[in-house]
Amino acid sequence: MKKILLSFLLAVPILGYSQSFQVNLQGQKQTAMGGAGTGVALDEAAVFFNPGAVSFLKKNGIQAGISPLYLKTAFRENGSNITEYNKDKIATPVMGYAVFGSPANRLRFGIGIYTPFGGAMHWKEDWTGKYTVTSLDLQAIYIQPTLSLKITDNIGIGGGLVYSLGKVDLRRAVPITKSNGEASTAKLKGDAKDFGWNAGIYVQTVSGVSIGITHRSQITATVKNGDAIFDVPDALKASMPTKFNAELPLPATTSIGLGFYPSEKTTIAVDANWVHWSKYKELAFDYDNNARIPDTKSPRNYHDAAALRLGIQNQTTTRLALRAGIAYAFTPVGKGYVTPEVPDANRLLLSAGLGFKASERFLIDLSFLYENVKARNETNIETGLSGEFKTAAYIPGISFSYKW
Amino acid sequence: MKSNFIYKSIFAVALLGMASCKPELKEITPTKGSADFSRYIAVGNSLTSGYADNGLFLDGQKNSYPGMIAEQMKAVGGGSFSTPFFKDSEADGSGHLVLKGFDAKGLPQIVMQNTNLAVRPESGAVTLFTKYTGDLNNYGVPGIKLLHITVPQYGNLNGFYERLLPGNAPGNTTPYLDFVTANPYTFFSMWLGNNDILGYASSGGANPADQPTPKATFTALYNLAANKMTDKGAKGVVATIPDVLGTPYFNTVTLASILATVQATAPTVTAIYIKTGANVTRAATAQDYFVLPLLSAGVIGVPTGGIPYGLHPLNPIESKWVLDKDEAAIVADYTNAYNTTIKSVAAAKGLALVDAYALLKEYGAGKDVNGVRVSAAFITGNIFSLDGIHLTPLGYSIVANEFIRSINSKYGSSIPIVDVTKYRGVKFP
Repeated sequence: MKKILLSFLLAVPILGYSQSFQVNLQGQKQTAMGGAGTGVALDEAAVFFNPGAVSFLKKNGIQAGISPLYLKTAFRENGSNITEYNKDKIATPVMGYAVFGSPANRLRFGIGIYTPFGGAMHWKEDWTGKYTVTSLDLQAIYIQPTLSLKITDNIGIGGGLVYSLGKVDLRRAVPITKSNGEASTAKLKGDAKDFGWNAGIYVQTVSGVSIGITHRSQITATVKNGDAIFDVPDALKASMPTKFNAELPLPATTSIGLGFYPSEKTTIAVDANWVHWSKYKELAFDYDNNARIPDTKSPRNYHDAAALRLGIQNQTTTRLALRAGIAYAFTPVGKGYVTPEVPDANRLLLSAGLGFKASERFLIDLSFLYENVKARNETNIETGLSGEFKTAAYIPGISFSYKW
Repeated sequence: MKSNFIYKSIFAVALLGMASCKPELKEITPTKGSADFSRYIAVGNSLTSGYADNGLFLDGQKNSYPGMIAEQMKAVGGGSFSTPFFKDSEADGSGHLVLKGFDAKGLPQIVMQNTNLAVRPESGAVTLFTKYTGDLNNYGVPGIKLLHITVPQYGNLNGFYERLLPGNAPGNTTPYLDFVTANPYTFFSMWLGNNDILGYASSGGANPADQPTPKATFTALYNLAANKMTDKGAKGVVATIPDVLGTPYFNTVTLASILATVQATAPTVTAIYIKTGANVTRAATAQDYFVLPLLSAGVIGVPTGGIPYGLHPLNPIESKWVLDKDEAAIVADYTNAYNTTIKSVAAAKGLALVDAYALLKEYGAGKDVNGVRVSAAFITGNIFSLDGIHLTPLGYSIVANEFIRSINSKYGSSIPIVDVTKYRGVKFP
């Protein structure tokens, strides 16, 4: 089992998205509850959901999980009768958390590894939108050491430093015809290493309702000297760029969450997230050689967007917990800015899951999340690509935890 | 281990289940509306034949806009569509230009590709091509003017037309309009009239044998053609004439580009001298157009009798390289008059109309099409071929979609559009 977990952790995770390229699959319990978890102290994933709640966890523990993500997008160009689909590609965002320190103490320690941003969109190489994108693999893995302090019996605060490991691989066709009649191609690959933070406060009120407020900072993933690989006709090779610089803001998220406990066995979590997407104004690539390829500034002009989440957990038996959730995420992408690498729209999320206590120390959690992204007919103002997108995502997940 | 296996199995089943849950878009059923596309014929000139890169050759024929339209019509009851393809062994057809690279100054090196020609021995001075036999739907004949469509001997004067006829030059007597209407058809496209002004313009107005067709003659012939095409009840689509002054042929070599080249070695030169169509020698202005072949002619600044060509009033650029301001005004005037005729005939006969003039103006000015930047720029603009007048497969696909949109809106049909990104621009070595 350890080996399997380890191989999951070491596998290069390739990700899907949950709101534009934000990924909200940070804990199996929370995923099964519509992604809510800011206002409750459910498990070790509180390192992500609310560092302030970590000091309220009754046990120490370690957990590792994975959410294989199957995302299918349909596209039909306006006026055409052909529907095109992205390629089948299972993305595998992973998550792992550990919480240490004596539960009797006010100060607890935690560490989390999770993937809050990513995307894996692969279209066929000769699809209608090939000159806009053929594939995008994007991931930012956050590593977050965390301190959580119970300042009173009812109030906890916590915070963590985030070290982000970013990676991008963007490919598209270039409208320069090679001698064999095929289009040229471009591949842009780069890494980014950046810092940010995550902080939260958790309050258990006298009425029994718990409240959490968190803020995860923006991290601007900065790619310096990424590889620009242009496959072009020989006559133009010397005039092509080989390196590029780019920046991608991974926006800040502010959340407020509530926990209700109508019975000893039932927990209800409600979350509202505010994602500060308006910082994503443009996607700019700065090339080292502009003889043929000018620097590009693609307007994105995202606006801030909210997500509302509701989840319920019922400890049905001592060994079995059942969970369900519903959420609605508003798209940050305005009219005219939808692009095929993230064909975003408002989306409805439905989730369910169960937790199984195999022993006093060993727990397994399963979740299943279905995302229905609304159909959207758009003409992109930059590329002129005009058509209808419709996306559905199916995301099962599993995690194993060990508590002491 | 056993429970692990169970979970793995659940996962596998779940993933398989998900793979069958593709999101669906609302079903689309193409319809033919009030038109009947069972036999579509295309009447026209070089643009209709698939001519590109200064020649008619197999690859160009395979990317003709009527061929693209016919393929899309199959979704709404369209029948088979035959284009008079050259044989694979004669794929270079009449010969065509290819881009070989760029010289040290960045000028394109363009040469003729003529290894596998489809040429027969000449008849008089007319180049003849290997005969085509078989079904015919694409009647595009490079070089034909509206002026020619009723000329009985035209089959002896144009090798591209002669090639389609059963008889050999010089014995042909079938006028083009009779030939294309001989077999029944249900739908037609007609894009004629371009050459009635193009020859005058591309020769810099300098060829006495290639003057604009008189406007009244054009109107009479266009009415005649439209009546004949529709007299058995067929429906159709016609197109206006693009502005030839908007093509790379007239916008690649400019006064500014000539001056810039000359001033690189002779910074004191500030004027370029031309001989106008009215036989006047004067300094060129930004309102005068230079033709594309001047780019590679290598004549500017070369002394004759000690006087550098084009840089002195005593050795001006000849009229054949220049469409001066007055000649350009004639081109614009005739083009507008022809287009007025085409639009009014289309309206009177209830035909669908493609405003190719407006279309190529819009795309020529620069436009993003599915992520492809297109413009009227020579070579890099993606829509004009190496001759600077005819289109690339990508250019023709944009035209095909405009025909389809126009047909759909006139006849209430829903012929699907073509995917323009499947078609190429200028090939680079």
